[in-house]
Amino acid sequence: MRDMVEHMEGINRLMARYGVKFGIYKNREFHEQLFPFDPLPRVIPAEEFHYLEKGLVQRVDALNFFLVDIYGEKKIVKDGVIPEDFIFSSKGYLPQCEGMVPPKGVYSHISGIDLVQAKEGTWYILEDNLRIPSGASYPMIARELTRQASPRTFMRNHVVDNRNYAGMLKEVMDHVNTGGINVVLTPGRYNAAFFEHSYLAERSGAILAMPQDLYVENNRLYYRQYQGRQLQVGTVYRRLSDEYLDPLCFEPESLIGVPGIMDVYRSGNVALVNAPGNGVADDKGIYYFVPHMIKYYLDQEAILKNAPTYLAFYESDRKWILEHLERLVVKDVSEAGGYGVIFGRDLTKEKLEDLKRIIMQEPRRFIAQEVVDFIDLDIVEGDGGVPRKADLRAFVLSGKTTRVWPSGLTRFSRNPDSFVVNSSQGGGFKDTWVLSQ
Amino acid sequence: MKRLHFCYEMSLKLDQSVRDHHFLIRCRPMENGRQRREDMAVTIEPADFVNEVIDGFGNEGYTGSIRAPHDSLSVKAEGIVRIDLSGHTEPSHPMYRFPSAFTMPDEHMDKLLKEIAAELGWPAWGVGVSGIQLCDMWKDSPLPKIQKDLEYMMSRLYGRFIYVPGATTVATTAAEALALGQGVCQDYAHAFISLCRLAGIPTRYAAGMMLGEGASHAWVEVWLKDGWLGMDPTNNRLVDETYIKLTHGRDFGDGTIDRGRFLGFAGQSQEIRVKVEEIV
Repeated sequence: MRDMVEHMEGINRLMARYGVKFGIYKNREFHEQLFPFDPLPRVIPAEEFHYLEKGLVQRVDALNFFLVDIYGEKKIVKDGVIPEDFIFSSKGYLPQCEGMVPPKGVYSHISGIDLVQAKEGTWYILEDNLRIPSGASYPMIARELTRQASPRTFMRNHVVDNRNYAGMLKEVMDHVNTGGINVVLTPGRYNAAFFEHSYLAERSGAILAMPQDLYVENNRLYYRQYQGRQLQVGTVYRRLSDEYLDPLCFEPESLIGVPGIMDVYRSGNVALVNAPGNGVADDKGIYYFVPHMIKYYLDQEAILKNAPTYLAFYESDRKWILEHLERLVVKDVSEAGGYGVIFGRDLTKEKLEDLKRIIMQEPRRFIAQEVVDFIDLDIVEGDGGVPRKADLRAFVLSGKTTRVWPSGLTRFSRNPDSFVVNSSQGGGFKDTWVLSQ
Repeated sequence: MKRLHFCYEMSLKLDQSVRDHHFLIRCRPMENGRQRREDMAVTIEPADFVNEVIDGFGNEGYTGSIRAPHDSLSVKAEGIVRIDLSGHTEPSHPMYRFPSAFTMPDEHMDKLLKEIAAELGWPAWGVGVSGIQLCDMWKDSPLPKIQKDLEYMMSRLYGRFIYVPGATTVATTAAEALALGQGVCQDYAHAFISLCRLAGIPTRYAAGMMLGEGASHAWVEVWLKDGWLGMDPTNNRLVDETYIKLTHGRDFGDGTIDRGRFLGFAGQSQEIRVKVEEIV
């Protein structure tokens, strides 16, 4: 480990040079900041990873079944397992996708599942990200650079190689491809994750396309090459969100979308990775029901637990929430990225009463969770290590089979008092080592 | 049963040339148990290509694009549709129960619903939106009684509005229109949808054409046990066999007949002419 610390400065410098950055919008201005890398990896023993893997595959499989069901037969609603309210009034539910079946029936090709480990050792699922989860590129490049800087470290430790992410991604894109090339569609230079888009395109052998490079003609999607040559596109790994994807179908004012792409997709002539409409399966309200989905579709008990969650929508839960608000964390189901998260213990008496009132007015909007006292990982600060809260984003890829990438993005909070680790809230990251024995 | 001949014309004029123009025009009457297309012809000029498309709501239309510079787009769709309202059943979809972007209720909508409830002698209900489930209350009521209640709701809403073109825009919401008390068919429809959904009744927005000459029209479909009842709040009447439906959805946003995007800075003026005649 000592070697790693010695190389910290050099690695961070290299990352700055490669442009490993994270863009955020603050006061409507675009700022790019380095995503600080901490050299001490999170280490997951082989056996523990095997357990996580089983739980993650189970969860993502159930979520994919759920998406097929919701945009198709809706059996889980008809059987009364999930109330209609949590599906059809969700912002992420897109009626434009009704009755569509994506190529090979896969909705969530790349799932980013956020977990934390409690102090007593139990892993809890914090949230599912099934739209365009970002972050895989950071541990990829960090590993690459640390291997260069300190090859000895990897000779002495039995760490599973994580350089196959791009290969796994390519397999997924090839599996669903309807005939044509693979492209990574980026909204452009000023997107928060532009570094990742270009890096993943390069590594997976896909073409990095800007929206204006793609166009629809006679129900096929094409990529415009130099000198006007056209190439048919079979898979679009699109890194722009559903509402901007197609101005003829969604947000009409979108300037970054590809007009007509949804019709091509509906006709089965292109695969969109991930499928539009996945938002219905990953908001904080539907999270509560994922263990029920696992039971319903797979007839299994959930291997990985949700953090203990209460739904204000149910009267008995609501009563409980209102009585214990000061020790709970309340989340607005429609917000993401660490926004709309309120810790009861941080509120004054007045603010607590305000929150209670809002919860009573709009119960559908909120969930409340027990605060999981999750583990600290040491990060390097000055000459020593200091403990900071850290979570783990695991990447689960669904193509022919569902597989978990043997690595992941470990994010930590740089503020000692904070439990919020999102990169948009100024955290840093670590590599995640999965041991092979 | 009625047979209707229709002609839908749209003409878009641009005061400067534009290029890379992509359009979606949903002027193809959908086929369902109520309406059948007997004949249909469409001309779209200019266009590099035109494809027939159908969306997640079941709406049909045409998309295409024009890459070269141009300063106009004209569409003419003509055909014969057979309308038969008798004995038609169609399932609802749960999304039509919930407020949508244009139909979020506010306290004025809530107040109006409570007034109507009192006037009709509906039982008093709990406080707040989620307490109201009119559908449950109606479960055992005979259809004519439900229809009468709905017609009363519509007439009360109608009484709150004056038809004033230009008072609202395409972005006006149901709550804004109700506060203003003015609007066009889109606003009447949104307000009535908002009111019905607040009472727990699945309701959808319909756009299309009605007998005579003029512009396109918008109305409302209310789900009654096993089929949809067409209601036209702008005219305070039930929809009969002289209406041809082009699109439906949660609100105007889903049911837009024309959409497009082009490159260029041009002022545009759009003219829509609709003509529907009964074939006897």
